[in-house]
Amino acid sequence: MPSTLVEKLAAVVGPDHVATGVALSPYVIEGRTPEAAVFPGTVDDVRAVLGVAAALAVPVVPWGGGTAAGVGMPTTWSGLVLGLGRLNRILEHEPGDLTVTAEAGVTIAQLQAALGAKGQWLSLDPPDADRATVGGVIAANASGPRRHLYGTARDLLIGVSVVTAEGEVVRGGGKVVKNVAGYDLPKLYIGSYGTLGIVVEATFKLRPRPDDERFVPVMLSSVKDAGAALRSVMGSDLVPTVLELLDADAARALGVTAAAALVVGFDGLTEQIDWQATELARIAAAHGGRTGAALGGGATARLATAARDACPAAASVMRLSVLPTQVAETIEHGGAAAKARGLTSAWSAHAGVGVVTAVLAAPDVARATDIAAVLGEWRGVARAGGGFATLEWAPLAVKASVPVWDDLGAAGRVMQRIKAELDPNNLLNPGRFVGGM
Amino acid sequence: MAPLSNDRKRALRPELDALVGTDGVLSDPDELLVYESDGLTLFRALADFVVFPRSAEQVAAVVKLANREDLPFVARGAGTGLSGGCLPAEGGIVLSLMRMNRVLEVDYDNQIAVVEPGLVNLHLSWRVGPQGYYYAPDPSSQQACTIGGNIANNSGGPHTLKYGVTTNHVLGLEVVMPDGEILWLGGKTRETPGYDVTGVFVGSEGTFGIATKIVVRILKKPQAVKTVLAVFDQVEHASAAVSEIIARGLVPAAIEMIDHLTIQAVEDAFGCGYPRDAAAALLIEVDGLAVGMDAQTERIVAACRERGARDTRVARDEAERQLLWKGRKSAFGAYGRVSPAYMVMDGVIPRTKLPYVLGRVNEIVAAYGLRVGNVFHAGDGNLHPNILYDPRKPGEEARVVQAGAEIMKLCADVGGSISGEHGIGLEKADFMPFIFSAADLGVMARLKRAFNPTNLCNPGKIFPTKKSCGEVAVGYRPHPIEAKGLAQRF
Ligand SMILES: Cc1cc2nc3c(=O)[nH]c(=O)nc-3n(C[C@H](O)[C@H](O)[C@H](O)COP(=O)(O)OP(=O)(O)OC[C@H]3O[C@@H](n4cnc5c(N)ncnc54)[C@H](O)[C@@H]3O)c2cc1C
Repeated sequence: MPSTLVEKLAAVVGPDHVATGVALSPYVIEGRTPEAAVFPGTVDDVRAVLGVAAALAVPVVPWGGGTAAGVGMPTTWSGLVLGLGRLNRILEHEPGDLTVTAEAGVTIAQLQAALGAKGQWLSLDPPDADRATVGGVIAANASGPRRHLYGTARDLLIGVSVVTAEGEVVRGGGKVVKNVAGYDLPKLYIGSYGTLGIVVEATFKLRPRPDDERFVPVMLSSVKDAGAALRSVMGSDLVPTVLELLDADAARALGVTAAAALVVGFDGLTEQIDWQATELARIAAAHGGRTGAALGGGATARLATAARDACPAAASVMRLSVLPTQVAETIEHGGAAAKARGLTSAWSAHAGVGVVTAVLAAPDVARATDIAAVLGEWRGVARAGGGFATLEWAPLAVKASVPVWDDLGAAGRVMQRIKAELDPNNLLNPGRFVGGM
Repeated sequence: MAPLSNDRKRALRPELDALVGTDGVLSDPDELLVYESDGLTLFRALADFVVFPRSAEQVAAVVKLANREDLPFVARGAGTGLSGGCLPAEGGIVLSLMRMNRVLEVDYDNQIAVVEPGLVNLHLSWRVGPQGYYYAPDPSSQQACTIGGNIANNSGGPHTLKYGVTTNHVLGLEVVMPDGEILWLGGKTRETPGYDVTGVFVGSEGTFGIATKIVVRILKKPQAVKTVLAVFDQVEHASAAVSEIIARGLVPAAIEMIDHLTIQAVEDAFGCGYPRDAAAALLIEVDGLAVGMDAQTERIVAACRERGARDTRVARDEAERQLLWKGRKSAFGAYGRVSPAYMVMDGVIPRTKLPYVLGRVNEIVAAYGLRVGNVFHAGDGNLHPNILYDPRKPGEEARVVQAGAEIMKLCADVGGSISGEHGIGLEKADFMPFIFSAADLGVMARLKRAFNPTNLCNPGKIFPTKKSCGEVAVGYRPHPIEAKGLAQRF
C-alpha cells in the first residue's frame, strides 16, 4: 500500500514534492516515522492530497514549521505528513484596510517583515517566529508576551480558508475587521491542532507600528512581592503591552538579577512610555523593589522563552492557566513541590492573563516517578484554583503517566460531536488532541 | 410546525406555571403581541407562550418540556435586535430572560464579572464604574439591550474600533443546551482545554442554546479622553481622512461618520452644533493616558486637514463632548422627524472602499426614488445606510427591501460582509449566499447540528431558506411565515 500512496501523491504534486525513506527524518515524532511527507504547492493540490488520503484511509498530519509538532499525543498512526511550507505567499496587504491575507506556510517573521515595511504589524508574537507559520500558529493557538494587551489569535484572525477532511475548501469569517455574518468559524480552527481541517489561508487584522517600545524590568525580593506588585500595576492607570512575572532563574536568563522580577512593556509615543516608566518605578518602590535599565533587543526577543532558556536540560514543560491573582502562589507552590523531590524548576508567566510556563529540569530520566509526581502536583495546584494545565512538552515516557491535556468536563461532549461532524472518519491528526480528538 | 391547538395550549399552561410560576407565563394572544417582533418590525410572528424563568434550572426545565412536546423555542433579551433574531417560529415558546438580570460576582483584581444574561449592558458599567472600571462593548442600544442578546449577536458599538466586539470580552458561559443540559463553555481563565466553544457560541444568534451565566472582562476606565469633530465639504474627503488617520499610526477609540442628510435631521431635532451645510462630519475619539493626548489630537487634526477638512473642533470639556456624541447617538431618533419610517442596513466593507461604496449607495437608493441617511462606524468600515420611506405609500416598502438587497450585494462585491453587528436572523438569511458558498454553509450547518441536532432551538434563522444555496436572490421575497399568513409586514 505505501507505494500506492506515494505514487498517487506523486501524481498530484510531482515526485519532487513527496518525501520517503531517510528524507522523512525531520518528520519523525516520538520515534514514529510517517509513511510519506507531501508538499503541495497550491490549495487545489492540498484538496487533491486529502482526496488521496481519504480514499486510502491514511491519516493526515498537517505540518507548518514543526515548532509545535511535539505537542499532544502522537497520532495513533503516523500516516501522511502534509507540509504546508510551499504555500508561502502573502496574498493581499492593503495598508489602508489594516488587514493582510497570507497562505498557511508563511512564517511569522516573513509576515512581520513585509508588514513592517509598510509601518504595520500583526500584534501576535509567538516564539520561534522564524519557523512558526501562520497555519501552525492558528492551529496551536500560539501567542507571546504582548498578548497581555493585544490578545491572541482569536482577537486578530478575521477570516480563514480551510480544506476539510473531505477535500473541500471552506471559508469562514471574511476580509473585513468587523463581521457577524454566519457562525464564527475562525474561532473553531484556532487551537484545534489540525484536527478539524487544514488551514490554507488566513486573514488578520493589523495595527500600525507604534512610535516606540520599551521593556522595563522590576527587581523584587520574592515571588510573593512580585505578585503584589503585579496586582498594583493591573489596578493602576498604566496600559502595559506586556506584564511578565519571572522567578529568579528565568529572570537570570534575561540578564536580570533578582529573587523575582516583573517585566513590563510599554509602547506608543515616547512621552507616554516615559511617564509610565516613572509611574512603574513608584509602584515598584511601594513593594520594596526597583526598576532596572530597559531590556535590550536580544533579551526582549527571549522573553517568551525565558523559563525554557533557564533549563536547557528540561524534562517537561507545563503550561498552566490560572487567574492573575493566583500566578505568584502557583509559582511558589509549584517550585516548592519540585524542590521537595530534589528537582529544579524555572517559571515565567504572562502574569496579567494568568498563563504560566513551568519548566521541570531533571538530572537524569531515571527520575520518571518523581517527574510524574511533580507534574501531577502542578496540575493539582492549577485545578484547585479553578484553572487548567497542559503538558506542553515531555518525552513519551512522561506522557504515558501524566495526561497531556486536562479534563474537558461536560463541554467535552459538544466538542466530540463537533469533531465527529467535521472529521467523521477521523483522518486529521487522529488521537493527538484532548479526549482522543 | 404550526401554532398549538387551543386544547394542547390549555393542557400545557399548568405545566409551565408549575415550572416558572403563574406570574411567569403568558399565553393570552393580546399579551403575546408584545413579543411578536424585535427592533425590526418588518417581520412578526406569535408564540404560543412567553415564559420568564428566574434561573438556569427553570430555563432547562422549560427547554426539556419543549423537547418533549417537540415545540420550537427561542431566547429573548430586550428585543432590540434588528434582524428578527428573537422572533418565535410559528408558535412555540419564547423564553424572556429579563428576570435573570443580576450581577453575580465582580472580581476587580482579576478584571472579570459574572452576570446573568438579562442584565442590561449599561447597567454593568454603572455597577463597576465607582471602582474605576467599565464594560467595553457599547452598542448604541446599550441602555436597553441585554448582555445575553449581545453574546448572541456578537454586538459591537462605536468604541469597538479600539476595544473589539463582544467576543473579545467574553471568557466563559453557562449554557442551557438545546436538549436541556446545563454545562459550562470556557470559564474564568484565559485558556481552557479543547476547542474554543465559547468563541463559536458567541455570535450564534441564539441557535446553539441559551446562555444563563456570562463571564466577561471589565476594563479600567481610561485616564483621559478627547473628542474631535472634523467637518468636510465632500464625503470623499471624509472617507480619505479615515485612512489617513490610520496611516499615521493612530488607533482612535472611535471614528464615526455622519452625512449631510443626517446632520440636518439631527440639527433640526436637537441642535448639537454640527454645521448644517457640511457634506459629512467625522467624530473621532482618542482615549488612554493623559500624557500624549494633545500630541495624538494634533495628529488627528493634521490628518483631517491634509485630507481637506474645512474645520476641526476639539471638544473643550465633557459637556461639549457629550453634545457632539448626542448628535451621533440620536441620529436614529432624528430620522423620525424627517421621515415617517426608516430601515437601517448593516454592511461592512474594506475601509479603502468607503468613497466608492458611499457613492454607489446613494445612487442605488436614488434609483428607487428614495432617500438615505448614513451614520456609521467609519473606522471599522461598518456602514449603516438608513433608507427613509413612507409605509403608507403603496409599494414603497418593497422598494426599500429591494434597495437594501442591492446594497448588501454591493458590500459583498467589494469584498465585505452583509452584517457587521446586527446579525443575519430572519432578515438576511437569504443573502448568505452573497458571501458564503454551499460548502461554507455546509460546515456551519454541521457545527449547528453538533449543538442543536433537533433544530428546535431558534429554528429558521441564519441559513438561507432556498433549496439551492448557490442561487443568488436579489430583491424581496415573502418569508415563509409571511407567505402562510402567519406573520405580516407593515
Ligand atoms: C436604536 C438601536 C441601536 C442599536 N445599536 C447597535 C449597535 O450600535 N451595535 C450593535 O451591535 N447592535 C445595535 N443594535 C442592535 C441590538 O441592540 C443588538 O443586537 C443587541 O445585542 C440585542 O440585544 P437584546 O437584548 O435586545 O436581544 P434580543 O433582540 O432580545 O435578541 C437578539 C438575539 O439574541 C438571542 N438571545 C437573547 N438572549 C440570549 C441568551 N441568553 N442566550 C442565547 N441567545 C440569546 C435571541 O434569540 C436573538 O437571536 C441596536 C438596536 C437599536 C434598536
